[in-house]
Amino acid sequence: MKFDTIIIGGGLAGMVAGIALQKAGQKTAIISTGQNALHFFSGTFESLQEPTPRIKELIEEAGIRLHYGQGVRLMPMGTFQPSALCLEDVDIFPDAHFGRRVLIVNFMGYHDFFSSFLSEGLEKQGMECRIRFLNLPEMEQLLQSPSEMRSVQIARTMDRIWEKVVQEIRVLLKDDDTVVLPQVFGLKDPSVPGRIRQGIPAKVVFAGTLPPSVPGVRTQMQLRKRYEVLGGTYLMGDEALEAHVHNGMVHSIVTRNLDSHYLEADNFVLSTGSFFSKGLRSNPERIWEPVFGLDVEYPEDRNGWYSPSFADDQPYMGYGVKTDARLHGVADGEPLKNLYAAGSILGVTHPELGSAAGLAIRSALAVADAILCHSERSEESN
Amino acid sequence: MNPDEFDVIIIGGGITGAGTQRDCAMRGLRTLLIEKSDIATGATGRNHGLLHSGARYAVNDPESARECIEENMILRRIAAHCIDETDGLFITLPEDDLAYQQTFVQSCQAAGINAEIIDPDLARRLEPSVNPALIGAVKVPDGSVDPFRLCAANMLDAKLRGGQVRLHTDVTGFIREGDTIKGVHTRSRATGEEKDYYASVVVNAGGIWGHNIAQMAGVQVGMFPAKGALLIFAHRVNNMVINRCRKPSNADILVPGDTVCIIGTTSTRIPFEECDEVAVTPDEVNLLISEGSLLAPSLSSTRILRAYAGVRPLVSADNDPSGRNISRGIVCLDHETRDGLKGFVTITGGKLMTYRLMAEMATDCVCRKLGVDKACETATTPLPGSEERSYEAVAQKIWESPSTAQKAAAARMGTRASRIRTGDRRDEALICECEEVSVGEINAAIERMEVSTLTDLRRRTRVGMGTCQGEFCACRAAGLLAKAHGCIARERADLNDFLQERWKGNFPIGWGDTLREAEYTQWVYKHVLGV
Repeated sequence: MKFDTIIIGGGLAGMVAGIALQKAGQKTAIISTGQNALHFFSGTFESLQEPTPRIKELIEEAGIRLHYGQGVRLMPMGTFQPSALCLEDVDIFPDAHFGRRVLIVNFMGYHDFFSSFLSEGLEKQGMECRIRFLNLPEMEQLLQSPSEMRSVQIARTMDRIWEKVVQEIRVLLKDDDTVVLPQVFGLKDPSVPGRIRQGIPAKVVFAGTLPPSVPGVRTQMQLRKRYEVLGGTYLMGDEALEAHVHNGMVHSIVTRNLDSHYLEADNFVLSTGSFFSKGLRSNPERIWEPVFGLDVEYPEDRNGWYSPSFADDQPYMGYGVKTDARLHGVADGEPLKNLYAAGSILGVTHPELGSAAGLAIRSALAVADAILCHSERSEESN
Repeated sequence: MNPDEFDVIIIGGGITGAGTQRDCAMRGLRTLLIEKSDIATGATGRNHGLLHSGARYAVNDPESARECIEENMILRRIAAHCIDETDGLFITLPEDDLAYQQTFVQSCQAAGINAEIIDPDLARRLEPSVNPALIGAVKVPDGSVDPFRLCAANMLDAKLRGGQVRLHTDVTGFIREGDTIKGVHTRSRATGEEKDYYASVVVNAGGIWGHNIAQMAGVQVGMFPAKGALLIFAHRVNNMVINRCRKPSNADILVPGDTVCIIGTTSTRIPFEECDEVAVTPDEVNLLISEGSLLAPSLSSTRILRAYAGVRPLVSADNDPSGRNISRGIVCLDHETRDGLKGFVTITGGKLMTYRLMAEMATDCVCRKLGVDKACETATTPLPGSEERSYEAVAQKIWESPSTAQKAAAARMGTRASRIRTGDRRDEALICECEEVSVGEINAAIERMEVSTLTDLRRRTRVGMGTCQGEFCACRAAGLLAKAHGCIARERADLNDFLQERWKGNFPIGWGDTLREAEYTQWVYKHVLGV
């Protein structure tokens, strides 16, 4: 099988690169192991400030609604963090004082939404809070199994009965000016959070739950759908095992599911994430990138990888693969001419590209541009 | 009767203190136990959890060996729900001297330990994880014991018999009249409240911290802190305890326990100042892995959950202040006859295995002082939860067709599992999925087992002790604790302490899947939840 570009890693970076390349007319494939960091996406593109028209277009074409503002957002434990660009169902407030009388609504038996912590956090900001629990017969089915009361399972039920929840909340509402709800709405239909806001005569704020993040899973599904509508091939549940490299060029890769077939392409993108996603691996002696063996810089003494304090920034989280200025992956000191790295596998090797979701999007677009620019040049020289 | 007056005050909530409180309570005494932290936070909770057969000591310390095998048989009867009767192997590897096996078996038999030489082939069949290169094997009645459960059951029994417990409370000084100890001054770590308690006898069961307690009372007990480092692996690799058949050395015991297995230990003298914050070094980790892999080769590729270290309270003989003549035996000091200080007893030395015997000796001493003439019954009276021997039978009695989670609860709580509220499906919801701990079991622990913090809860229920080390269950349980205690600000701080405590055990082994999990935790707690 031959593609223009093969992208290894189907998270935010891989999909943004894939969408950008498909839009430019390339034939691409994404190899994805399955889950990725979008499953615990907080709904905010932390290091992206005001998005360029291009980024806005690319994301909104996938049906993902964004909004931009300077301020803070409410965290699931009742604290606040600065924020700028978010999904539509994540609110940005100019300051932490966003209401006077707040009704926090949780579901009976749901332990992954921290209503009491939220209440205490909001009361610290001078807001008056009360917590109410909804006890809906439609959720009895979830209680049949002791581990079904989790965000995505509840969200699937909510896809069916969210209008009833709106009715229940209207009954609970007294003189509250704000209602705080868990982010378990609009898994399938992204318009639901907006419609809930319209249905409740108070300001509605959605606060996060324990992972999986419902807005994150929804975003993942939307991006993947958009990529496939554009003609991309998303190889789900597969994993790149090794690469064939000749004269500084990647020729093909071998994957777990297609072991007898080489996947060939003109260009390759490595967006396999950091340690958690297995983009980087480690043992007591070393840290390495498993597919291409790209160079990774880290201290030899393992003690240097960590700070003993959990609260500190951890050095290992900054490690990433080495690249040149155009994001070519570097192996044994030499850039591979048709391999590019994007997303959190870069660690903090390019601080100008930001971190987390911001890094994923900016580096993915930079990589797509480098690939397109390079193929234009090669076409001209032909 | 003054509610702050007792027959006996016990300082220290480790297994020795809890066992002593139980024994005293069983002899009809009014008891108070004071612990500066939580139960089982010292050496009690920081060892292998090995139910010694005594074989390890048979050659060099026959007295300890005999104590061990006797207590081993007693604990099987009285603490069934805390014990896993796995048996153990002492293996000889090609680099070991096979001749030692003879000496070993003879010494075991002399001490009353049923040690049986078996064919290496049979050993490989009995314990498939064992190093297949072994050239000799001896089967002994080793097992594993859950020290948290054992300690909690002793404390609970004392409470059921009217004993009182003050956890997270410091003893700040002694109330003394002339040559007699009359009581203690205390300060609560939670509230800062200062309070005096009075008793006819005070028992110092403070483990290594007992050194300072004795000093505070004006007497000297020569203790030497010896640190031992251990690793917990994420799988129960072995089903039998595996030991090396040679002179006891570092990292030569591998013990299965619940869903995990534990390799240890090392032995390093440390200064007293370090006792509160013992850290495991990379060298110790490397040694434990390389030596451990000689017992069970698959350990070299098994994920490690946690590194931790405990401090053994070694006691030097009274006539040898240098500490060269160290004993691991039991030391029970009546300070009246030894130092002329009335109303004060120190019980120390010994080990987890012999806690009951230590408690008996201390209680005998207390009873002599109080003129109480009642025989010790702890060797024959089962601990609460241990009235049945099979947890499956227990689960069957409580729930007609028990789920795996209910069986897990019965394994942890024994017959006390019947106290979990049932009937509401919401109580069956799982808080900790790795260890299958339900809302009901956590609430039962909070109600009856003196839980202040998440780490306390972890010791009593295994919440957060499993493969994910409390990734999600920590904050779920924090929600339940916040509700029970009605203080959210305190619970926030508690959650941070829990995460720091967890990281302390993780970073010394921070690579592979442990590092993946650690990175995930950083994201979830800092960026997603905003802790």
